[in-house]
Amino acid sequence: MALSGMRGLSVFISDIRNCPNKDQERLRVDKELGNIRTRFKNEKGLTPYEKKKYVWKMLYIYMLGYDVDFGHMEAVSLISAPKYPEKQVGYIVTSSLLNENHDFLRLAINTVRNDIIGRNETFQCLALTMVGNIGGREFAESLAADVQKLLISSSCRPLVRKKAALCLLRLYRKNPDVVNIDGWVDRMAQLLDERDIGVLTSSMSLLVALVSNNHEAYWSCLPKCVKVLERLARNQDIPQEYTYYGIPSPWLQVKAMRALQYFPTIEDPNCRRSLFEVLQRILMGTDVVKNVNKNNAAHAVLFEALALVMHLDAEKEMMSQCVALLGKFIAVREPNIRYLGLENMTRMLMVTDVQDSIKRHQAQIITSLKDPDISIRRRALDLLYGMCDISNAKDIVEELLQYLSTADFAMREELSLKAAILAEKFAPDLSWYVDVILQLIDKAGDFVSDDIWFRVVQFVTNNEDLQPYAAAKAREYLDKPAIHETMVKVSAYLLGEFSHLLARRPGCSPKEIFIIIHEKLPTVSTSTIPILLSTYAKILMHTQPPDPELQNQIWAIFNKYESCIDAEIQQRAVEYFALSRKGAAVMDILAEMPKFPERQSALIKKAEVAEVDSADQSAIKLRAQQQTSNALVVTDQHSANGPPPTVPAVGPLTLVKVPSTSGNAEHTSEGQALTQPNGTLTKIDPQTPSEDLLGDLLGPLAIEGPPGAAVQPQQNAVSEVGGVPSAVDGAAIVPVGEYSNSVQPIGNINERFYALCLKDSGVLYEDPYIQIGIKAEWRAQHGHLVLFLGNKNTSPLDSVQALVLPPAHLKMELSLVPETIPPRAQVQCPLEVLNLRPSRDVAVLDFSYKFGECEASPSSSSEQISSAYISVCRRVLSSMEISFRPPLKLQEVVRGVRPLPLAEMANLFNSFRLMICPGLDPNPNNLVASTTFYSESTRAMLCLIRIETDPADRTQLRMTVASGDPMLTFELKEFMKEQLVSIPTAPHGPTAPPTPPVAQVAQPTSPVKALTDPGAMLAAEWSFEDFGLVTRKKSVNGSFLVLVMDGQSLASFRPNNKAEPNK
Amino acid sequence: MIKAVMVINTQGKPRLAKFYDFLTVDKQQELIRSVFGVLCSRAENVSNFMEADSIFGPDSRLVYKHYATLYFVFVFDTCENELAVLDLIQVFVETLDKCFRNVCELDIVFNYSKLHTILDEIVFGGQVLETSSAEIMKAVEEISKLEASSNSITLVPKTVSGWRNR
Repeated sequence: MALSGMRGLSVFISDIRNCPNKDQERLRVDKELGNIRTRFKNEKGLTPYEKKKYVWKMLYIYMLGYDVDFGHMEAVSLISAPKYPEKQVGYIVTSSLLNENHDFLRLAINTVRNDIIGRNETFQCLALTMVGNIGGREFAESLAADVQKLLISSSCRPLVRKKAALCLLRLYRKNPDVVNIDGWVDRMAQLLDERDIGVLTSSMSLLVALVSNNHEAYWSCLPKCVKVLERLARNQDIPQEYTYYGIPSPWLQVKAMRALQYFPTIEDPNCRRSLFEVLQRILMGTDVVKNVNKNNAAHAVLFEALALVMHLDAEKEMMSQCVALLGKFIAVREPNIRYLGLENMTRMLMVTDVQDSIKRHQAQIITSLKDPDISIRRRALDLLYGMCDISNAKDIVEELLQYLSTADFAMREELSLKAAILAEKFAPDLSWYVDVILQLIDKAGDFVSDDIWFRVVQFVTNNEDLQPYAAAKAREYLDKPAIHETMVKVSAYLLGEFSHLLARRPGCSPKEIFIIIHEKLPTVSTSTIPILLSTYAKILMHTQPPDPELQNQIWAIFNKYESCIDAEIQQRAVEYFALSRKGAAVMDILAEMPKFPERQSALIKKAEVAEVDSADQSAIKLRAQQQTSNALVVTDQHSANGPPPTVPAVGPLTLVKVPSTSGNAEHTSEGQALTQPNGTLTKIDPQTPSEDLLGDLLGPLAIEGPPGAAVQPQQNAVSEVGGVPSAVDGAAIVPVGEYSNSVQPIGNINERFYALCLKDSGVLYEDPYIQIGIKAEWRAQHGHLVLFLGNKNTSPLDSVQALVLPPAHLKMELSLVPETIPPRAQVQCPLEVLNLRPSRDVAVLDFSYKFGECEASPSSSSEQISSAYISVCRRVLSSMEISFRPPLKLQEVVRGVRPLPLAEMANLFNSFRLMICPGLDPNPNNLVASTTFYSESTRAMLCLIRIETDPADRTQLRMTVASGDPMLTFELKEFMKEQLVSIPTAPHGPTAPPTPPVAQVAQPTSPVKALTDPGAMLAAEWSFEDFGLVTRKKSVNGSFLVLVMDGQSLASFRPNNKAEPNK
Repeated sequence: MIKAVMVINTQGKPRLAKFYDFLTVDKQQELIRSVFGVLCSRAENVSNFMEADSIFGPDSRLVYKHYATLYFVFVFDTCENELAVLDLIQVFVETLDKCFRNVCELDIVFNYSKLHTILDEIVFGGQVLETSSAEIMKAVEEISKLEASSNSITLVPKTVSGWRNR
């Protein structure tokens, strides 16, 4: 057959193919679209052929993903053209580019109708195709009758009639009223006698649609469907061209059986007998053959027959035959058949009485869990989950546990949830359940949600017989070398509650238990520490008679955490300390937890909800949400000059502590106004004890005193103690308010902040619900930061609000943060920063969100508002390059420095982008660093720093800082001092707050005086006051070349490469 | 109902995309990309089924077939039989093969309009219209004749460079 084609289109396509990149492609497409637009405008010389060519080009462009939004009117008007080619073009474009709600379509209805009722069959086909693809309600109303006429007309060719059948189906879907049931039933039945297989196939599709809505009206069609099946499957009465690999039209057979599945039963015994005869023939007569296509076709029919047998609930004999067949299928080589075998077996579980026969294939199903095809593995998991009951739960759950360690990551979460649910639902005894969950946590801790371990704690608390067993198991797991944090949580909780039941066993004395739990403390995150503290308190309480040594150890820990940055930890430490000192009088408070009220498992509930919701929680929907949020971010990037997005008031919760913004840098800014007592903040937090599981577990442990007065003094005490560290750390990170009971940041915010001072990207904040990452790029004084807000959960986070409070010296623009973060999605929010002048103040990110959970007590599903505040700061200095000029130079002796080897200190400087210039200072104990500092007021400013260390006493050093700007010099010096004193790697809240630097009075020294100092001399010598800039260049071999930029080179040196930065 | 028919090459470029429910251009592209993302990670000799729920919503199914450099993908709902749709892909490809004699990717690229015409004779508004490739060919030839009678239409050889340099 001749290939007909359009050269213009081919040229265009090959041009597109030759485009090396997307930009080129876009250029080419834009050019073409412009061309098409002009050609269509001066319609004169456009032949039908040209029109068609352009239309196909447009369609091609549309497929490439470009919007083609013009020419609709032209396209629609072409429909009414008298000649075929133009009409064809009109119909093709209309049905490809327009949707059913498009206004222009209405204009075409009349023309379309004329084409349908006209005598020209080719026009009829064109019109039917268009209506069948995009016809809407209005088309349905005005065209249905005509289309029906075409379908039953005896004079029409099959080509037209089959299109009419499907067109009618479309119109029926848009408006079911267009098919008048009374009048149509007989016609429909007649259509099923059709000899032409093409028309019959289309009519069968139409019938499926009709009976799916109303099977009762179409009873008379049922025997006809059976006849069709008999004709095809038994008599093979079919034209040659409709057999597919020797099988009489598998599609028609499938459709006919589909239609039969919409009728509840078959009452007529004759009809039923003939149908079962056919089904039996299909079930028995199908073998797995070599030819893949034949195999597929035969099994398409076979699986449909299986479905029909299941539906008709045949005699048990046939059912078990089906199970036997499926059992055979799940073991064959052909992956498609294995897949469908498993899927149909899952479906078959709903039929009563076959579970037992399915169970016989359990071993084979378990093997399918290891299939190379993930589609098949998922089906196998579904089937195992569905077929599990009390008799085989042990085997199946153990298989799942075993599989867990090798399963794909994509499946692990689902797998562990399913294993947990099955274990709970079908546990033959509770100790087995405890075993399973602990194994689960051990093997896949990352994928075990909190719900799972909460549930095990509930079970143990409510069953006294179980308590010693669970405690002993928990003790065993603690002996393992590396255990997951969730395991630490659950074992600490269990041992805190029940370890006294084990006291007589070897290795289980309170002291030993304490030691083994305490070993884990350095490895856990902030969210676990409160649980450990509670455990210590309980252990202490259960130790009777008191063991003074243990008591001192535990008190020391409480003491240590009294000044912890994390409010929850701090509060617990203070309160437990106070309580345990009081002795027996308040013992009751620390006694065992009361039993939990019986409630439906949150897990099972969640699974049920997930099943019901799966329709709503479709990925498409989630994707759509995600899309909108991305769109938001994108649009906001453009409005960078506008005012910061308005943030709706969040009520008292948004109380934010702004770090002291000392515009005047000469003043000591630290320690001022930063110590807002925590007590006041606690009151503002309206958090009520939550009713959910977490609240049950953690709430009472935290010993909720009566609100107000009783607690107040303690908290004030806390803030007194905590005042000093918060003053020191305050500049970096400000704990604003207490974290609400349930939201515990993961990891230490302070440490995270310090870590971020040293690098450009990382995690800023994390709690169980959200993770906030940051990435920064600096170009001179302009910074481009991106916040990555990642929802860690399977449900969306709502009411997300973020507000950046910039200090006076920074200009910051945060683009709008989407209100909702879809489940497991990450949203990016760009943040533009402009540094105006040097300062050490940091910006604060005030962030809040709402996490709606519907779980727990059946009586009330409470929505919990958790807000977390993080004060985020970007220490601008840290990401700036600094260098110097000496009119203003400051010198200071810093004591209390954390001792650091010189090389490490050099690394630290380098990571602040203060480049160490080795060889400048002959004394090996000294460091000299330089950098360029950028801000609006100072522009590019060079800074020099010199550190003179004392090899005898590493805790003190002398620091000399010089730059061209007094403020910069001061700020830089203070910044470095802070960095050297509270070295970022130091754990938060050590026994005592870090001693504030004992600073010598830092006064600007006069240049003359400075010259007596060797460092200053060096500096002066190095870059004379009068000269402008010192730049540092990295030469090819990596050594430094320092030039004074007045045109003449004053000094250039190539130091040895031993302290090459960043290499 | 068949929701979408796509032909994507092994580099992820769409060669044909037809959606039977209206979707915006961006959405279409996104779907094509996500389908390709999963397809290209699948090994040979595994089943022709792919989990599509996460891309097209619940109860959607996806069947694909891999021929040389092309993936033929059909997306549909629970009303269709998976294997029957797989057969339909085979019919589509066999018809293309008859039409282009040993069809290859270039035929499909340059005869984009033809591909559409053929598909329209197989799938109509998301329903199976015709399953016999002989009948499909008949219908397509009829259309070609009609087109030919009104235009002078040239033959497009497989290699474009030949006539481009003329």
